[in-house]
Amino acid sequence: MDGRAIYAISKKEFMDNWRNKWIIAVSAIFLLLTLVISYFGSMGAGGVGWRDIDATIGGMITLVTLLVPIIGLMLGYATIVGEKEKGSLELMLSYPVERIEILTGKLFGLGAVMAAATFIGFGVAGIIIALNVKGVQWGNYMVFVLASILLGFVFISIAMLFSAIFKKRSAAMGGAVFLWFLFEMIWNVVIAGVLTAQYGIEKLTDPNFMAPSWYYVASLINPVKAYSALVSLSISSVNELAGNIPSFVNVPFNLAILLSWMAGTFALTWYIFNKKDL
Amino acid sequence: MGIVEIKGLTKDYEGVRAVDNLSLEIEKGEIFALLGPNGAGKTTTIKSMLGLIFPTAGEIKINGFDVLKEGKKAKENIGYLPERVAFYDNLTAIQTMEFYAELRGADRKECIELLMDVGLDGEMDKKVGNYSKGMMQRLGLAQAMIGNPSLLILDEPTGGLDPRGSWQIRQKIKELNENGTTIFLSSHILSEVQEVSSRVAILNHGKLIEVDTLDNLGKKLDLQPTLVIELQRPSQSILSRVKQVKGVDSAELSGNVIKVRCNPRVKTNIINAIENEGGKILDFRTVEPSLEEVFLKFTEGD
Repeated sequence: MDGRAIYAISKKEFMDNWRNKWIIAVSAIFLLLTLVISYFGSMGAGGVGWRDIDATIGGMITLVTLLVPIIGLMLGYATIVGEKEKGSLELMLSYPVERIEILTGKLFGLGAVMAAATFIGFGVAGIIIALNVKGVQWGNYMVFVLASILLGFVFISIAMLFSAIFKKRSAAMGGAVFLWFLFEMIWNVVIAGVLTAQYGIEKLTDPNFMAPSWYYVASLINPVKAYSALVSLSISSVNELAGNIPSFVNVPFNLAILLSWMAGTFALTWYIFNKKDL
Repeated sequence: MGIVEIKGLTKDYEGVRAVDNLSLEIEKGEIFALLGPNGAGKTTTIKSMLGLIFPTAGEIKINGFDVLKEGKKAKENIGYLPERVAFYDNLTAIQTMEFYAELRGADRKECIELLMDVGLDGEMDKKVGNYSKGMMQRLGLAQAMIGNPSLLILDEPTGGLDPRGSWQIRQKIKELNENGTTIFLSSHILSEVQEVSSRVAILNHGKLIEVDTLDNLGKKLDLQPTLVIELQRPSQSILSRVKQVKGVDSAELSGNVIKVRCNPRVKTNIINAIENEGGKILDFRTVEPSLEEVFLKFTEGD
């Protein structure tokens, strides 16, 4: 494995998304929504106006958990199956390039697209907010932006796995859409259902109720949840986690979940792609 | 040691044997053609040579490197033109070339020269998505030539092209070969292989039927050349006189041309016979047996 091919492939993936205006479009969406959240987020509490960065981050977590996974999935689902269907993958692999280099190049390139859009969108929004409020915690904001990028990498990696497994682009897209629903809705509903079945609704509404450890583990295996937990635990003024949380649910725990998702799906993609006839 | 060594290559696709125990050796500097009908296993063989698919059995070495174990080194000196050449529609020709040059680690300056070389001078900044089939094929060839590889693998290089387009590709193949590039090509278009290749392997139902030079293949089958003789004033008496010459298989008259299939050693006797009968020869040439005939003979009865 060497850097040349990885660089060439990452650059191509990045430039493709630069030329087709994806990066700019996603940046603009991030920028706009962040400003809306910051300015109108306090509407319920009477009147509008710029909120500080920490308060804005609280509102942005929901935005990121919905948008970043779908952007990551859209970036990655066709990257292998699409090129295979078209025939360009075959040509690429006829060059002195290893399959792992193609996968690495694609992950880095698509991840850079996500990172660029996040940095531009949230960066410009941060500057605009900073011009209007005092005492901006840039460190916290940076943690939030980096965590969001990591979530993007996780979903690009998952999408690439789908792209390597499925024989048809449309099937990979179906898989990606399903996955989004799974992590955004189905997962939480199922786990909450099991919890309710075990303890009954009355016990759950008791303010002193402490959920069992398995509930936290099962819930946080969902990368979307691990992300919001990670941001909540890193930035003290943000609290997305309700109730008494067990001590093992800390920053390294959630970070490890996200990194495992990325590394695990990437390794699996490699394993599958490495055996594939093109 | 050949530039390509294929030993016992076998590939099954879900129980169907696409290539069956194929062994081939390609020497440096030759134009080697893999010939066979569609589905004979040509593309499977080529894809195995590039490590795109994994053989069920057998091994392939290119420049001495095992394609699967040392894929990167094996592929360092190969240019490849796939049967169904596909690029990225959103890139221009020059952007496409620069991407592949980067993948190969070749000088980007080569790209413009190569595009000019295949006659795409005026189309470099056009998006590949708007290219015609012929332009795609020429871009495909330019791409394969990046880094001046010592081996070019061309899968049906003239497939789907008009006669002029395929003539241009054949000229290019010959020119590259003259400059020292070994060429491995596949085709089901017999006349094209005949025009360029020095050696031919005939493949049918995944099995190697024969591999030899075109001349030898003709001899082995005892296919006779055809003499095409143009006469000033042909007549039936000349024709019947020619038919009587020993060694003549058949003769026919069309217009003022007599076509004679015969043992090549009796050429002089035929000329004498015509002149004795009062015929005046305007033109005389020998047409070697077409590969079509070679091919039909080899694959018939399968």
